[in-house]
Amino acid sequence: MLAIETVGLTKYYGKVRGIIDVSLAVGEGDVFGFVGPNGAGKTTTIRTLLSLIHPTSGRVSLLGRPVTRGGGELYRQVGYVPAEVRCYPEMTGQEILDYAASFYQRGDREWLRSLAERLGFDASRPFRTYSHGNRKKLGIIQALLHRPRLLILDEPTSGLDPLVRLELFRLLQELSGQGVTVFFSTHVLEEVERICTRVGVIREGRLIHVSQVGELPGRNMRIITVRLAGGEAPGGELSGWARPQPVEGKAGYYQFNVSAPVNELLARLARLDLEYVKITDPSIEDLLLAVYERGGEGDVRG
Amino acid sequence: MISFNVFRKEFRLIRRSLVIWTTVGVLVILVYLGFFPYVRDPDMALAIEAYPEALKAAFNINAAVLGDVNLYHGLVMAYVLLLSSIYALMLAGGLVARDADLGTAEFLYTKPVTRRQIMGAKVAAFLAALLVLWVITFSASVVVGLVVGEGRFDLGAQLMVHLSGFLATMAAGGLAFAAAPLINQTQATTSLGAGIGLGSFVVSALSKMSDKLAPLKYLTIQHYAALDSAAAGEPFTGGMAVLAVVFVAATAVGYILVERKQFAG
Repeated sequence: MLAIETVGLTKYYGKVRGIIDVSLAVGEGDVFGFVGPNGAGKTTTIRTLLSLIHPTSGRVSLLGRPVTRGGGELYRQVGYVPAEVRCYPEMTGQEILDYAASFYQRGDREWLRSLAERLGFDASRPFRTYSHGNRKKLGIIQALLHRPRLLILDEPTSGLDPLVRLELFRLLQELSGQGVTVFFSTHVLEEVERICTRVGVIREGRLIHVSQVGELPGRNMRIITVRLAGGEAPGGELSGWARPQPVEGKAGYYQFNVSAPVNELLARLARLDLEYVKITDPSIEDLLLAVYERGGEGDVRG
Repeated sequence: MISFNVFRKEFRLIRRSLVIWTTVGVLVILVYLGFFPYVRDPDMALAIEAYPEALKAAFNINAAVLGDVNLYHGLVMAYVLLLSSIYALMLAGGLVARDADLGTAEFLYTKPVTRRQIMGAKVAAFLAALLVLWVITFSASVVVGLVVGEGRFDLGAQLMVHLSGFLATMAAGGLAFAAAPLINQTQATTSLGAGIGLGSFVVSALSKMSDKLAPLKYLTIQHYAALDSAAAGEPFTGGMAVLAVVFVAATAVGYILVERKQFAG
């Protein structure tokens, strides 16, 4: 059974594009990274999944059940962390968590306590006094307290300090190990590389790529940084093979990307009068640039 | 079709405003109705008779009203209705608009409850608040009325005054339930509530000042509540039925709009 399935999901706000023909299939137990720049349609997709907004066309199923306008029982097995956690300002964190827990039959106070402890959350203060990070922690805890089968997180790490972010990643990996499906939206691609098994790329409202994280286009690409003796620019040795660009702020340094067998790469570099060389794997940002540049060719259905 | 935990939470969140508005209503009754022994003074009646007829008609002030504790209670309750209708409009509007305004929709509408159950809980919280307000103000009326009325305070008739007022505030709240899903700001519903509540009172007064303006009365809750008639022992049952229908119909519109509402953030 699929944890999330959308077919031809389209949303227009009047004439303004939200998302166009998004078809996704996220299997149970997947940790799915939903990646795209700001304004690409990540939040619109998530809000449509949760029926907070209604699609112009297309359909959504969560955990094998169609999402309808009225909400209801379906959400008993879904946890959601919004991009910006907003709640009742006059209530304390504990009161909000108690209220959230009141919607579910199972009340596991030990689990709740352990979540608060792991994320370093003080539930005794009124919501209005919480920083952005603490609000995000509250959002995460209230999304997890009923042990959902599907967890939908919209940029969950924004506002979290690095240690809490690491703890969240550990928590998500543990949950994934227990079979929980995690749908994780972010524009920080390193996070996808760290915890996700599959990735979907959305751009200008369209899903342009879906694959295993390791199968993103440009995965064989290498980034080469060189400095030639005397700081000269690489010339004919690389012509037709790579296009070196000066590295900003580092006089005499040049950088280029190549997707070539290692032997050929080393042979080419050996012809240069090198003073410095660095060969690095591409960051996931670089990989996504490659996806964007290819206009999203490849599989667009999970 | 009510979510009881949402009802409990919503009622808890409106408790403070309920206490404030109920206190104000009780104070109005204590002060104005408590003044009855002084206003029925013949000199006061003579002074009132010198007022322009239109003004007396607009605010239902005349020697007969000032000389009868039951009619005077009806006059006092017109001001309680003014206040409570503003409260009802603000309360119902705020209950619905708050979710979009504060962003609590993302919390509440992704829980395992239907939108219908959430709306049901909000309507129930609203009705419970009104019930508390009208029971307490009725109690205040009874206590003060019995003290100053010298045995002439008609409990049955005055209960109908409060019942009419209760229905009128229900209708006002129903209208707010219908409008609030289209408004995403609590502050806007507050302003709108104050404006409509006060507007209804003023238009009702104006409609009594001349025959040309008389048809305007049909736009006011005061006309259908007819507190002066109820105080005289002749409640306008047709008007009360209209208020109940307005509440049911407008609230039903609110349900439909909430069901269709989109929370785009």
